Amino acid sequence: MEYIIHLAILVSIYAILAISLQLLVGYTGLLSVTHAAFYGIGAYVVALLLTNTGIGFFGALALGILGSALAALLIGLVLSKFRDDYYALGSLGFNVIVFSVLLNWQGLTRGPLGIPGISRPELFGFVFSDNAFFLLLALLLLAIVYAFGRLITQSSFGRTLEAIREDEEALSVFGYRTSGFKLLIFVLSAGMAAVAGALFASYITFIDPSSFNIPESIFMLSIIILGGLGTLRGAVLGALVLVLLPEALRFVGFSTDIAAQMRQLIYGLLLVLLMLYRPQGLVGKFKL
Amino acid sequence: MDIVPQLIVNSLIAGSLYALVAMGFNLVFGATRFFNLAHGVLAAVGGYTAFYLGSTLGAPVWVAVIGAVAAAALVGYGFERLIFRPLRARRASNLVLLVASLGAFTAVEALIAMLFTSQFRTLAMLTGATHIIHFGSGVMTSVQAIILGSSVVVLIALRLVLTKTSFGRAVRAVSDDEEVAKIVGIDTNSIIGAVFIIGSAVAGLAGVFAGMDTGIEPRMGFLILLKGVIAAIIGGIGSVYGGFLGAFLLGFAENFGIWQISGEWKDAIAFTVLILFLLFRPQGILGKKRI
Repeated sequence: MEYIIHLAILVSIYAILAISLQLLVGYTGLLSVTHAAFYGIGAYVVALLLTNTGIGFFGALALGILGSALAALLIGLVLSKFRDDYYALGSLGFNVIVFSVLLNWQGLTRGPLGIPGISRPELFGFVFSDNAFFLLLALLLLAIVYAFGRLITQSSFGRTLEAIREDEEALSVFGYRTSGFKLLIFVLSAGMAAVAGALFASYITFIDPSSFNIPESIFMLSIIILGGLGTLRGAVLGALVLVLLPEALRFVGFSTDIAAQMRQLIYGLLLVLLMLYRPQGLVGKFKL
Repeated sequence: MDIVPQLIVNSLIAGSLYALVAMGFNLVFGATRFFNLAHGVLAAVGGYTAFYLGSTLGAPVWVAVIGAVAAAALVGYGFERLIFRPLRARRASNLVLLVASLGAFTAVEALIAMLFTSQFRTLAMLTGATHIIHFGSGVMTSVQAIILGSSVVVLIALRLVLTKTSFGRAVRAVSDDEEVAKIVGIDTNSIIGAVFIIGSAVAGLAGVFAGMDTGIEPRMGFLILLKGVIAAIIGGIGSVYGGFLGAFLLGFAENFGIWQISGEWKDAIAFTVLILFLLFRPQGILGKKRI
C-alpha cells in the first residue's frame, strides 16, 4: 500500500510537470528542453527556505513559483526570439547553464552534496508526514494546476497560443506581437513547474542537482509526446504510463541500477517508435 | 610560471576534439538539414568499442581504433536506415527528426551503461607510456599531439573529398537542394547514407581520442555532442570548414574563460557563447551556406 501511495505521489508530481510543459510544447509549439531547470529552481528555493528560515511550506511554495517565474522571464526574453529547432537547442543551453549554477554555486546550493533535511509541509500545526496525507496535498495541487491549465487553454489567450503553433508568421501579419505571448506562456509554465519542484523537495526531503539535468527534461518531453501533444489529459496519461512502466520492470527482477538504465532505454526507444509510427502520441491532437 | 602557453595548448586540444565531432555533425546536417543529436552517442560507441577490443580482447591499438571507427560508422548508418530515412520519406518535420534522434541517443546511451556499467574507465592500455612535448612553459602529451594532428588531417581529407571528387559534388548537390539533386539523377538516399557513414566514423574517432586523453563513461557522448553542436553552429551550420573553425574558437573561449573563474563553469561558458551567437550572428562565423 505504502508503495502504491509512493508511486501515486510520483505520478502527481510528473503530471504537474507534464501539464505545464504541455502548454509550452503541445499548445504553443515551442519545443523546450529546459523544463527540468524550472523544476529545479522551484525545488531549490523551497528547500533553502525550509531549511534556513522559519517560513512555512506554503509561503516557500509561493516564493518558489515567483523565483522560477523570474528566472523564466530572463531566459524567455532571449528564447522568445528563436523558433523551431533553434528554440530547442537554445533551451537545452539554458538547462545546462542552470544546472551548472546549481552544481557550482556551492555557497548557496552546497553543490553536489545537495540539501538534506527538508521538512514536510505543515498547515496550522498539521504536518503532512504521513504519505497518504502528502498524496492528498499532491493531488490537490495537481487539480489546481490542471484547472489553471484548462483556464489558459480555453481562453482567447490559449487560442492565440494555438495559432502561434499553427502559423506564427500569419499571426504577426495580423498584428499580434507573438514574442510577447511566447514569453508569457513560458513564464507561466515555469511557475507551474516550480509547484512540482516544491512537492518533490519536501516529499523526498533531499535534493541534489542531478535530478534537474537534461535527461530529466527529455523524460518530461517523452511524457507529453507519448500522451499526445495538445491535450492536458494526454499529459496526465503520459505521466501515468511512463512513471509506472519502469516500476513494472522491478517485478521482473532487474537490479536497481539496471532498472534505472532500463527506464532510460525504454523512453528513448519509445520516442523513436512514436516518431516513426504514431507522432501524435496516445490521445494527441497535434503532430510535431 | 606563465600560464598562457598552457592555456593555448589546452585550447588547441579541446578544439581538436570538438572539431572532429563538429565536422561530422555539420557534414550530416549539410546533407539532411536536421539536428542529428544521435551523433554524440557515436563517440561513446567508438570509445567503448576501443575499450572492449583493447582491454577485454587485448587487441593492439590499431585494431582497437579501426574497430571503434567501424562500429561507430555502422551504428550511425543503422540510425539512418532504420530511423531517419523512413522519416524523411514521410516528409517528417525537422522537430520530429530531432526528437527521434534524441530518443536514439538516449536508448543507446542506456544500452552502453547496461553493458559496461556507468563507471569511468581509461584507455591507458591502448596508449602505453606517453611522451611529454614542451612548448615554452606549456606541455602537451604525445597522444594530444596526435589528436591535434588528426583533426587537421580529417579536415583536409574531407575538404578534398568534397571539392575534388564526383561523390563530393553529389554531396554538395544534395546539400543545396535534395529535390533537384534527385531530379538530375543523383541517388540521394545512397549519398546521404555514405555521408552518415563518414560523419559517424569521424565521431567514433573523436570518442576514441577523448577516451585516450581523459577516459570514457557512458555520458561522454552527451558532453561531447553539446560542444560539437555549439562549435558547428558558431562556425557556420552545415559547413565542415566552419565546424573546424568554430571548434577552435569554442576551445579558446572555454579555456581562456576559466582563466579567472573556476573550471566547473566551462559548460556554462560554452552555452553562453552559443546563445550569444544565436542572438547576434545566427549564421555563424563563416556566414554563408557552404559545405
